[in-house]
Amino acid sequence: MFLIKRLIPLLFFFLQAMQLMAQGNDGVTEVTLKVMPGLQFDVVRFTVKPGALVKLSFTNTDDMSHNLLITKPGKRLAVVNAALQLEEKGPAMNYIPKSSDVLWSVPILSPEQTKSLSFKAPLQAGAYPYVCTYPGHGFVMYGVMYVNAEGKMPELKNDPNIPPARQEDKLADAGKHDMHHAHQQEMPKADHPYATVPPYLYRIFMEDASPAAIAVSLPQNLSYCWDAGVCRLRYAWKGGFVDNTALWKGHADATAKIIGTIFYRDKTTYPLRVGDPDAIPVTEYKGYRLVEKYPEFHYTLNGIDVYELILPKEDGKGLVRKFRIPDANKEVWFAANLHDEAVTYEASAGNWDHEKLRLNPQQAREFTLIMTSYPLVYSRKK
Amino acid sequence: MKLKTLACLVILFFISAVPADDKKAKEAYTVENIPMPEGLTSETGGIDFLPDGRLVACFIRGEVMIYNPKSRQWTLFAEGLHEPLGIMAVSNSEVLVMQRPELTRIKDTDGDGKADVYEKVTDDFGLSGNYHEFNYGPVKDKKGNLFIALNTASPGGAVRPEIRGKFNPLGRDLQTGLYEMYAVVPYRGWVMKVTPDGKLHPYASGMRSPNGLGFDQEGNLFVTDNQSDWVETSTLYHVKEGNFYGHPASLVWNKNWPAKNPFALPINELEQLRTKAAVLFPQGIMANSPSQPLCDVTAGKFGPFKGQLFIGEMNRDRIVRVMLEKVGGELQGACIPFIDGHGLRKGNNRLAFAPDGSLWVGQIAFGWSGDLGIQRIVYNGTPPADVYTMTLTKDGFDLSFTQPMNKTEAMNPDNYKFRHYYYKYQRKAKNEGADNSRQLDVQDVAITGIKLSSDQKKVSIKLSALKPGYVYELKLGNLSSKEGTPLANKLICYTLNKLLNN
Repeated sequence: MFLIKRLIPLLFFFLQAMQLMAQGNDGVTEVTLKVMPGLQFDVVRFTVKPGALVKLSFTNTDDMSHNLLITKPGKRLAVVNAALQLEEKGPAMNYIPKSSDVLWSVPILSPEQTKSLSFKAPLQAGAYPYVCTYPGHGFVMYGVMYVNAEGKMPELKNDPNIPPARQEDKLADAGKHDMHHAHQQEMPKADHPYATVPPYLYRIFMEDASPAAIAVSLPQNLSYCWDAGVCRLRYAWKGGFVDNTALWKGHADATAKIIGTIFYRDKTTYPLRVGDPDAIPVTEYKGYRLVEKYPEFHYTLNGIDVYELILPKEDGKGLVRKFRIPDANKEVWFAANLHDEAVTYEASAGNWDHEKLRLNPQQAREFTLIMTSYPLVYSRKK
Repeated sequence: MKLKTLACLVILFFISAVPADDKKAKEAYTVENIPMPEGLTSETGGIDFLPDGRLVACFIRGEVMIYNPKSRQWTLFAEGLHEPLGIMAVSNSEVLVMQRPELTRIKDTDGDGKADVYEKVTDDFGLSGNYHEFNYGPVKDKKGNLFIALNTASPGGAVRPEIRGKFNPLGRDLQTGLYEMYAVVPYRGWVMKVTPDGKLHPYASGMRSPNGLGFDQEGNLFVTDNQSDWVETSTLYHVKEGNFYGHPASLVWNKNWPAKNPFALPINELEQLRTKAAVLFPQGIMANSPSQPLCDVTAGKFGPFKGQLFIGEMNRDRIVRVMLEKVGGELQGACIPFIDGHGLRKGNNRLAFAPDGSLWVGQIAFGWSGDLGIQRIVYNGTPPADVYTMTLTKDGFDLSFTQPMNKTEAMNPDNYKFRHYYYKYQRKAKNEGADNSRQLDVQDVAITGIKLSSDQKKVSIKLSALKPGYVYELKLGNLSSKEGTPLANKLICYTLNKLLNN
């Protein structure tokens, strides 16, 4: 399954390359360019032979306006800046400056519009940039046409003529990603000005949670997702915390990717009840305080303050949840799906009544629940 | 022969080098790069100055960091925040940060220089999980109210299976509007007021991407908005309570809104509901993505533009300056580049004045065009030759300059090229570029008279006609001051909403 997944992009890349290099019966090199979200041409480089007839077909597959200019070698930035200098003349000129540095151009296209350019490739070998000069786009939205008899291109990751982000294109990087999957515990580069030593957290978009989720990395390779939208622990996993790569690109929907295996999910309607064991309380998130770097969440249940601190079980096989309800004046219940959870609970106080831990107000002021995950215990034994 | 050539080159070098240095020394403003902490992806979401003069900045991957300009050292203050896009210093140990899920008060309570308390100030607004629901602010008024702004969602993204807040499908036109920005959770597209008791109140609607809030010295609230599927070019709004500013999606969160599709309203009905922008930033000409407006409160430390607004621009190396005047009871006015081509980068997202009067600029790209890092613009004490104000008269405009101008040049009508155009308020046709922006009725406007004041600082220009609802774009020629300093910026756009005699 994984192999196929990895082969598909390669196959796609190969097909695309074949299509790009397609030499029609009439000897015309046909090139098809589209736009990807985030101000990028889908194809950032191709080769043609000197003097070849080229038909470049450009379709604007984005929701913004784009043009396309092919410039003399080394003249991309000069042309981008000349387009900016057009100022009030820019819109009427499609942001195409009158300059001998511009060899060919496609005017501004609306979404889903296609226009073609037919030209004879330069006789002089070189790297001929293509770029969108709509104001602001030209600094990131570009590619390169290599003209040479041998059809040569530099190595993708060292190609200075394509946007830096594309040098690490997944297609070219397939081999490296194989390695990555083999070592699933390996953490992606976080790019912070400090070392990320557990415990630490990210407020971030996560699967199976509200959009106000908090991912917390604990020692012992444990992590959990606490949801500030609904004031509860959602799930916990063992492994390497999260990969935020997709999120940190910006400009598209994404969630943090969990690295590891989820060993616990809270499947109750809501775990804590106040006064009435069957009534789901109204919750309000208040914030958190760091207690020796561990977040202690603060929220209210029907207006009563609750503090929840989650620590790793020292043997790495579960979580230690410390609750404080300093103003508890009614009985408090903690609900669990004991019959369909592979988790054992050890409570510092209270009595189990069916599937709920029952605590009197005195006990509810401070209690601890130790949750041991049977799958983790089992996998350790193995 | 060779030696002679070399000697000539050496002489040429010195001849050219001396005036170049001299010219640099005479520049009114210079741009400096601030060294950024190692390992930081410096996508700047917000900057402000602490009372003790240190800079506090938040970055999109969740860090809040403090920079000491004296030691040039960065320290970490807080971490783990969700796309923070605004920061306000409260004290040397406390800041407010606008992050994705909430407005948060972050405090260092044990004095170790690092935050330990993250308190929610308000999260009383919806999240659909769409990547484009950015949140901006806060700014504070004189009564202690905070203002934040909530971005609409992008049709390029989705609503997550689990959301926060009430869902209202009328905030998105599913009949024909799949390409429009939308607001299916409260209060997307709104500017909100947080009263000192922590309660969140809907304040004004009709925004698309209000990436910038600021007050002027008189306490007027301004918000910039991005060019959009309804308003054809980017705007500076003078925001007042209860007003609607043009993007219909947010109307569904007005508590008096009937259960109907705001997208289906005839354009003239929306037009009547709408408050126009005080200033339009012509797309592709002045700015494509204006950001935070910041009033010059430096009392001259930053040069001659006291009380005017400086506005970041994301798409190029530009800060825009805005000068406003009250006409017919409403603010309107002109925009002009403030700094181009001086080494400022793109992605100019956040602005703050340092105690020394320098203007600090935080930059961002985050998947769009832009740059990373923080720069600082310093006024060197040499006054620029620049337009100071552009004001409307009964039959044209008065341009006042920061310096007395060269008389011959100033009196030459060829140095003033006016044209006008307008932007129609309309629903964008499907498959039209989201950033497509049409200037309509583009026409040159003839100059019928020029007068220079006796102090040579004000030029009064008479025009053949003045039409309300138009942008009056003025391209200035080779003007220079009496002392020979060339004019710093030559393109100026006045948004003429109202005539003087109306």
